[in-house]
Amino acid sequence: MRRPLGTIAGARSGDKGGDANLGIWVRTPEAYEWLKGFLTTEKLKELLPEADQVSRYELPNLKALNFVLHGLLGEGVASSTRFDPQAKALGEWLRSREVEIPEELL
Amino acid sequence: MIRIGNASGFYGDRLSAMREQLEGGDLDVLTGDYLAELTMLILGRDRMKDSQLGYAKTFLRQMEDCLALALDKGVKIVVNAGGLNPEGLARKLGELRPGKLGELKPGELGELSPGELGELDQGDLAGRLGAKIGYVTGDDLKARFPEALTANAYLGAWEIAECLNQGAQVVVTGRVTDASLVVGPAAAHFGWARDDWDRLAGATVAGHVLECGTQATGGNFSFFTEIDATRPGFPIAEIDEDGSCLITKHDGTGGAVTVDTVTAQLLYEIGAPEYLGPDVTTHFDTIRLEQHERGVRISGTRGSPPPDTLKVCLNTLGGFRNSTTFVLTGLDVEAKAELVKRQLHEAVGDDGLTWTLARTDQKDAATEEQASALLHVTIKTTDPKRAKGFSRAAIELALASYPGFHVTAPPGDGTPFGVYKAAYVHRDEVSAKAVLL
Repeated sequence: MRRPLGTIAGARSGDKGGDANLGIWVRTPEAYEWLKGFLTTEKLKELLPEADQVSRYELPNLKALNFVLHGLLGEGVASSTRFDPQAKALGEWLRSREVEIPEELL
Repeated sequence: MIRIGNASGFYGDRLSAMREQLEGGDLDVLTGDYLAELTMLILGRDRMKDSQLGYAKTFLRQMEDCLALALDKGVKIVVNAGGLNPEGLARKLGELRPGKLGELKPGELGELSPGELGELDQGDLAGRLGAKIGYVTGDDLKARFPEALTANAYLGAWEIAECLNQGAQVVVTGRVTDASLVVGPAAAHFGWARDDWDRLAGATVAGHVLECGTQATGGNFSFFTEIDATRPGFPIAEIDEDGSCLITKHDGTGGAVTVDTVTAQLLYEIGAPEYLGPDVTTHFDTIRLEQHERGVRISGTRGSPPPDTLKVCLNTLGGFRNSTTFVLTGLDVEAKAELVKRQLHEAVGDDGLTWTLARTDQKDAATEEQASALLHVTIKTTDPKRAKGFSRAAIELALASYPGFHVTAPPGDGTPFGVYKAAYVHRDEVSAKAVLL
């Protein structure tokens, strides 16, 4: 079913110099299996078109994925002209994107 | 077990948190993080104006209010509020006037009445209260990176541990890793060795959870509608000898400590699962979380040796910036944006200008605000006069531009901005020191 990703996933994002990080987690093992397969770096870039170079890390113990969005913040918070220079709300933006979520996970 | 609390996640966090943590229940150590990459730049600019400054001034205010209370309760204070000038802050703490301490309730100061206290000199007071202040220095690498406004290596836990082992009751540091504020006291308490990798990694995880204050207890939490996030309490880690811990908070405080709130904070500002620090490499993919009646148990964390290099936080002055936001209401939004762009480019040139048009406007809207789009423009330039002239140029358009011209707030004089870079140096090149006043 088409629903915002945040219906089943939490997220937290922030800055490290010019890079942003975006951690996203779910609350059941089944949801994690789905998330791991669904949210590839390609998919992330499709959902967040402002992302360019992206690294993805898996943290199955936390039922979480961590993304690093390289260079999103230019030369860091003090210099960035981005609307959200510390990427604080990047995760909430991702959670608001509508995606096909298997009905049994909702 | 050692109970370590946190009372600050950044320079500007809740001022009363120190008192809340001291009064709310038992603690062995109270920590506070005051430094971010951006904070080092802010402190660097403070230091340019006055070489005596360069530390987090709010911490000094908190200590004026709470030092006697902390000493009375036997709680040790460990903070990185020293910023670029830990020695300066330590000396200020040593100068705290008894009169100010005397405003506190007499009971908090043992048998002394405020009147008696006011008559004591600082030496007597320190002797009477046993206040011992330590600081950690050696992170400043400005001599090695002369082009930078600030250059500070991220130091680790061991100098903090040494200050505590020598009896310090307040330890102030400059740039140490945020987690080291927790690792240091735990290592000192349990007598851990420098290669107790799993224990150090466990304490690093506790430190990472605590370092952003209420972000671990329901602040900025995706599922905030499921808890009462009105006024989250500050977090506490009860760390065991094996490095595992229970994340909790004082009874009666707001927010929540759940597997979800702790997961959220574990994911904050990390990269690869091998989390590199000066004390240990912590493997985030080994952390186990379990809900507990008083919070969340964290166990299983594995550590391995840290890299041979230390990270250095470099801030250089990048130039000057200024910005404003034009409100474009109703029809012809794109054409209105084009007009004001053309006008501002003619006035100040287009070099260094960044424009963003946010189409927040809705068609045929029922409120004026919903009918409006926002056009942000930022100038970045090496010329402070041009950054200032930008304001004048933008305001001079007020009666000469698109219909409905207004701005959300008038632009100011422009401010300097910094550029952050990380560098790496071999750990032998950095000589961190623990000093007791």
